[in-house]
Amino acid sequence: MKCYVIYIFFIISLSFSYSQTSNNSSIKDSIEAFIYKSKQSDLFSNNERLDFALKAKQLAKDSDFLSAEVQSNLSVSNIYWEMGLEKDFKKINRENLDLSNKINDTLSLANTHYNLGEFFRLKVRLSDSAYYHYHNAEKLFKKLDDNFNTAQTLLRIAVIQKNEKDFIGSEVTSVEAISQLDLLKDTDKINEVKSYIYNNLGLVFGQMEQFDESIIYYKKALELKKNLAGNNTLTIYRTINNLALSYNNSENFELAIKNYKLILDDKETMSKNPNFYALVLDNYANSLYLSKKNDKRLPHLYLKALNICDSLGDSASNYNSIIINQHLAQYYNDKNKKDSARYYAYRAKDISENYHNDDLLKSLLLLSKIEDDSIAVNYYNEYIQLNDSLVKNERNIRNKFARIRFETKEIEKKNLQITREKMWLIIISIILMITALLIYIIISQRSKNNELRFVQKQQETNEEIYNLMLSQQEKIDQARTLEKKHISQELHDGVLGRLFGTRLSLDSLNMGTTTEAIQTRSRYIQDLKNIEEDIRKVSHELNTDFISGSGFLDIIKTLLETQTQAYELDYTLDYNDSINWDDLSNKNKIHIYRIIQESIHNIYKHANATLLKIGFELKKNVICLTISDNGSGFDVNKAKTGIGLKNINARVKEVNGEIIITSEKDIGTTVKINVPI
Amino acid sequence: MTGTIRILMIDDHPMIIEGYQNTLLFSKKESQILEIDIANNCDEAISYMDKSLKNNRPYNVLFVDISLPPSKDGLMNSGEDLAIYAREVLPKSKIIILTMFDESYRIHNIIKNIDPEGFLIKSDLTSSELASAFQAVLHNPPFYSGTVNSHLRKTNESDIVIDDKNRKILYLLSQGAKNKSLATHLNISVSAIEKRKKQLKEIFLIDDGQDETLINEARKKGFIL
Repeated sequence: MKCYVIYIFFIISLSFSYSQTSNNSSIKDSIEAFIYKSKQSDLFSNNERLDFALKAKQLAKDSDFLSAEVQSNLSVSNIYWEMGLEKDFKKINRENLDLSNKINDTLSLANTHYNLGEFFRLKVRLSDSAYYHYHNAEKLFKKLDDNFNTAQTLLRIAVIQKNEKDFIGSEVTSVEAISQLDLLKDTDKINEVKSYIYNNLGLVFGQMEQFDESIIYYKKALELKKNLAGNNTLTIYRTINNLALSYNNSENFELAIKNYKLILDDKETMSKNPNFYALVLDNYANSLYLSKKNDKRLPHLYLKALNICDSLGDSASNYNSIIINQHLAQYYNDKNKKDSARYYAYRAKDISENYHNDDLLKSLLLLSKIEDDSIAVNYYNEYIQLNDSLVKNERNIRNKFARIRFETKEIEKKNLQITREKMWLIIISIILMITALLIYIIISQRSKNNELRFVQKQQETNEEIYNLMLSQQEKIDQARTLEKKHISQELHDGVLGRLFGTRLSLDSLNMGTTTEAIQTRSRYIQDLKNIEEDIRKVSHELNTDFISGSGFLDIIKTLLETQTQAYELDYTLDYNDSINWDDLSNKNKIHIYRIIQESIHNIYKHANATLLKIGFELKKNVICLTISDNGSGFDVNKAKTGIGLKNINARVKEVNGEIIITSEKDIGTTVKINVPI
Repeated sequence: MTGTIRILMIDDHPMIIEGYQNTLLFSKKESQILEIDIANNCDEAISYMDKSLKNNRPYNVLFVDISLPPSKDGLMNSGEDLAIYAREVLPKSKIIILTMFDESYRIHNIIKNIDPEGFLIKSDLTSSELASAFQAVLHNPPFYSGTVNSHLRKTNESDIVIDDKNRKILYLLSQGAKNKSLATHLNISVSAIEKRKKQLKEIFLIDDGQDETLINEARKKGFIL
């Protein structure tokens, strides 16, 4: 569907903008130029860059270049992010979500989802919303085969999962992220991401109290980070801190202390990141305390860390101070200094109440240990309540994640089904079309064949009649020759012989003058008279054209005889000799023959007749053919579509003739056909 | 020759026989007595011949017409056959052929097969010619009529020699026969006819291959009339 919409849109925009092509391309160029400028963070200030990006966005919007607008929006959102304008960042990304969806720009859609994921994870700390957007971004990046961004997104999902205590899920996601990166060549960028993933895995296993595993991953992360170009001290120290914590938790205090010291010995740590320094210092102190209960540096180190945090006064150090306070409370409680312990425990509780998480839980548990019986019970109850709610919360979140995953899967399934249905629809329609085409071809071919066959048949019958006429002609010729021979014989044998004999006799009698001779001579002269008569007879015979024109009628007679015999009909044939059939072209003769043949066939088939009358008449150079029967008759208006009648009509048309059919029920049918010569 | 002359006249037209008789009776010498038998068809002719042989009174002269109704047993089809028979049974008899046929081909055939003492063509025969022919055959054979002579002269003049079949083909062609009917007449195949026609055209030096030219040339040379 979307494809069609875009396609139609494209056509419309194309037709609309055809005349403005050069104008449009210049607008596009300037949009691109603005976007390019907005990305030059070295040359321009943030405000200038924002200005460029917004100009690009406005231009794109004004000229309806949606894809350019999407790109501009991405630039704008990046700058908002950098400037910390969270609300604007959210707004523009929301807008871009719809826009990129509309033009089906998968990459921009993925990037926008990613941006929103970042926003919800880092700025609002709404893990389920963040998860939703990351999840969508991941799917889209995967669709685009963008392994790197897929891995980046997966890492962020894994972090969210870890934070929500979905440790198994986080582990699986992390491993998937690594496998995505393994498809790519090792570069610093990739190794950096990899190291973060390993770090996350370390944290996950640490939370699951599989410290050996977590140590292995931290070491992997460390190794990668150390090989990266540039100054990565802070991130390396963070991993070392994590590693040390794992050593600490696995009660390998010596290694933990050693690693903490490594960080603390670096003078720059304190000056550059005092908060982190305080955290590490606290961890160091705690390790010392756990390894040797009576270390002389305690509680001095704890207090130093707490001081740093208090002096910084920001939210991060405030958060850090919770654990320091807890450690101090623990320490004082062990030393049986109940007042101090209570003081720090309450402090820890007060601060942690702002966060309402595990830290509060720990603070409550601590208080339940430090306080006297009845108050301790209260705190313990509170602890249990909070624990329950947290567990519930976690479960809810995890369920939410699962739901998001499920829903996307559901949508994917649906999409798959839709595409499958579409495919089937296309296949079926193609098959239908092909079948229709085939049927059409077959039908047209068949009708063509039929036509050809019909023409061929027509030709065959025409040929047959022609041959008939030819053979008739031959017969006539033969008869003529025979007659000629007969006459010649007649002349030769009869007349000539007698003439010769008479001449010879007269010749011989010529000299005689006797009365006998005279009598004989007069007898011979009488003979000559007889011979004369004979010659006249022969001459008369020659004069009568005994076969002129009878050829065609003979054929008709033969036809009538054979057909009527076969159909058991009586027939009469009326004609007069004034018709000179030789004047009629062979074509017309054939048509007349065929018309008669067809008519007889029709009469036999439909008329139920016993008598058939055929008549030929000549009227003003038009041969009038009348075919009538005494059959059952038919409705002339209704029967025009019969093949027999159609044939007859076609033939009448061919000879430029006309046809009149009259029919009366139970009396008979008369067909009159006029054929001009 | 004097005394009784026995004659057998064979012709299917009584009128013609009458003519012969009249002519002979008017023109015969005083000393000659004519005994004339008349046969109107082949069968009669045969029976007369056989009878004369039996009675030991053979005919002196036979007047034979060529076109005759065939004998009942089908052995004798024309005067030609009768003449051949007569030569066998009556070797001393003189034969005068009288025929309406004036076609060169027939004349040639008759002379070749029978070699008659007299050969007369009816169409140019007068009573005086018949009379003189009769006397000539009796005393000083042969006697050929003018037409026969002129034909013989013509064929003798040209050095073209063609066989009977080719002669017949020429004759039939001049009658307007077609290849197909030629083949049935001569009882040979159409291709054989074609071959012979080609041969004839070579003999008569016909360049254009037309049957008409061939016939005209043959006519000029006296092979057909």
